[in-house]
Amino acid sequence: MEQPLLYRRLRDLVAIAVVAVFMFPIFWWALTSIKPRHAIFNKDEVVVFNFEPTAINYKVVLLGQSRSEIAIDSGNTFGVGGNSSYDSRQTILDSMIIAVGSTILTTFIAMLASYAISRMSFRGRNGYLNWVLGQRFMPPVAIIVPLVSMYKTLGMRDTDNLFMGYVGLILMHALINLPIAILLMKSFFDDVPKDVDEAAMIDGATRWQTFQKVIMPMVRGGMAATAVLCFIFSWTEFLLSLFLTTTIRTVPVKITTFVTSTGSEWGFISALGTAAIIPGFIFILLVQRHLVRGLTLGSLKE
Amino acid sequence: MSDTGAGTKQSRLFALPKFLSGEHPFPWLLPATAMMVVFGVYPLIYAIWISLHKRNAATRVNVWDPTYNWIRALSDDRVWNALFNTLTYTSLALIIQLVLGMGIALLLDSDRKGYGVLRALMTLPLVVPPAVTAMMYLLMLDGSFGVLSRSLYALHLLSPAKPILANSATALPGVLLADIWQWTPFMVLIMMAGLRSLPKEPFEAAAIDGATSIQAFFRLTLPMMSRVIAIAVLIRGIDLFRIFDYVKVMTDSGPGTATETLTSYSGRIYFSGEFPYASTLALLTLIFVILISTAFMKLFRVRL
Repeated sequence: MEQPLLYRRLRDLVAIAVVAVFMFPIFWWALTSIKPRHAIFNKDEVVVFNFEPTAINYKVVLLGQSRSEIAIDSGNTFGVGGNSSYDSRQTILDSMIIAVGSTILTTFIAMLASYAISRMSFRGRNGYLNWVLGQRFMPPVAIIVPLVSMYKTLGMRDTDNLFMGYVGLILMHALINLPIAILLMKSFFDDVPKDVDEAAMIDGATRWQTFQKVIMPMVRGGMAATAVLCFIFSWTEFLLSLFLTTTIRTVPVKITTFVTSTGSEWGFISALGTAAIIPGFIFILLVQRHLVRGLTLGSLKE
Repeated sequence: MSDTGAGTKQSRLFALPKFLSGEHPFPWLLPATAMMVVFGVYPLIYAIWISLHKRNAATRVNVWDPTYNWIRALSDDRVWNALFNTLTYTSLALIIQLVLGMGIALLLDSDRKGYGVLRALMTLPLVVPPAVTAMMYLLMLDGSFGVLSRSLYALHLLSPAKPILANSATALPGVLLADIWQWTPFMVLIMMAGLRSLPKEPFEAAAIDGATSIQAFFRLTLPMMSRVIAIAVLIRGIDLFRIFDYVKVMTDSGPGTATETLTSYSGRIYFSGEFPYASTLALLTLIFVILISTAFMKLFRVRL
């Protein structure tokens, strides 16, 4: 059924307008990151395009240029904050270690569990699934106090032992991602007919061989989508990183420290913020097809 | 081939107990279960245990006093204020995100050229860290140079004397704005998936019978999508109820306690060092989440 041309054109316009409204904050954010100070903090007018683009914010945040170097570059030392507290190279590295570590851990553990839930029938299977999803009900705030004292007893705080600090945060990020990862992976496994397993096992393969050699290659796309989702959740997680670590600073936590009582360094904030969005953007575009499909299967099949 | 699964097992030198073999779900579920018990269940029990103690401010020792924190919480006006804020925030955000999400999903659900790009762009807010989203809106809503604030001033919708986030009447809607921007795309994704899965036949039949597209939407699309909508509301509602990042970054529960939610109140108490009461408040949040979501699931017959 073909709709009239006018209607179609109108719909196109509305669709573009709506998406543009949703894109505006990201656009404004990226624009702010290349503005010089006086264009950001202009109280007389809103500066949109009439400014000289500068890379100085990125130089400070991503390359760790110091205060004196900025002063030489810009000839303006006003309000440029202490030493190199805006240098975020270590922060980005910390975030990467934690996001990649927890993604690998979650994907692996969730894969095993969801295969069993999808393929094997055992007593309490539905109860188990409900319990897994129930973990998501818990406000992270509820387990902060016990976790901190538990980590203190075990010597797992980052102030006791830097390596264990990473491990501690990776474990927690893996935990919060586990329920959603199990649910997603289960829906991808459910999509593969059980006959495939049975055929492989009749041919003499063990469960593990069937899983590893036959089923895994069939759900590769779903696994990628799950991993990307886990990466994004870990990369963007704020509360646990804020409470659990002091020397390890992930990007979302670090960025909030740029807001000070004397004023916010919006140039640096937006530069780090823009840089922080990029990995997620790339990953989600790569697996979008599987992700949308995964959500469909998860909520619609039956 | 005569070599069956049972045959290979017997040929092993040391036979493993049955529950440790790959045929049994136990080893498959062990890592996930162990992790959820050690880092999820144990801390929860520990939190309940701490909440049954009273903290002596002078000696910093926790003394066993099982009712102290719970009675204190129930008679604390800030708890009720926080609960009211949390419920207001959750319900407003849910309604707006659901309606917008459904509308945008219908709008973008087209096979024509260019709509794929629009759909891809629409998912991008989801990958922005919530703390960064909060900062974005902090910048745009800044009282003196924020682009949104200044646009609202120019339209005389807001007075420069009352900046949106510093005024207790508008602070909560200000925070809500960030949440709506970030999470409407999530609703769009789920609704889109739901729309794609609808069967074509009923719509064709309705069109032949002369139904308008508005009638088709209310009589066919909505009822057939009810399960998807219920699950979307449940997932989003649970997350909204635990809202922390936006409030912490944008207003830090202020001005006064105007945007204080249950989790942000608990966080404030935590930073003041009074761990037993902070745990009690966090557990109270958990109890509310469980009660409300169970009631919702019963009422709308949602099964996970």
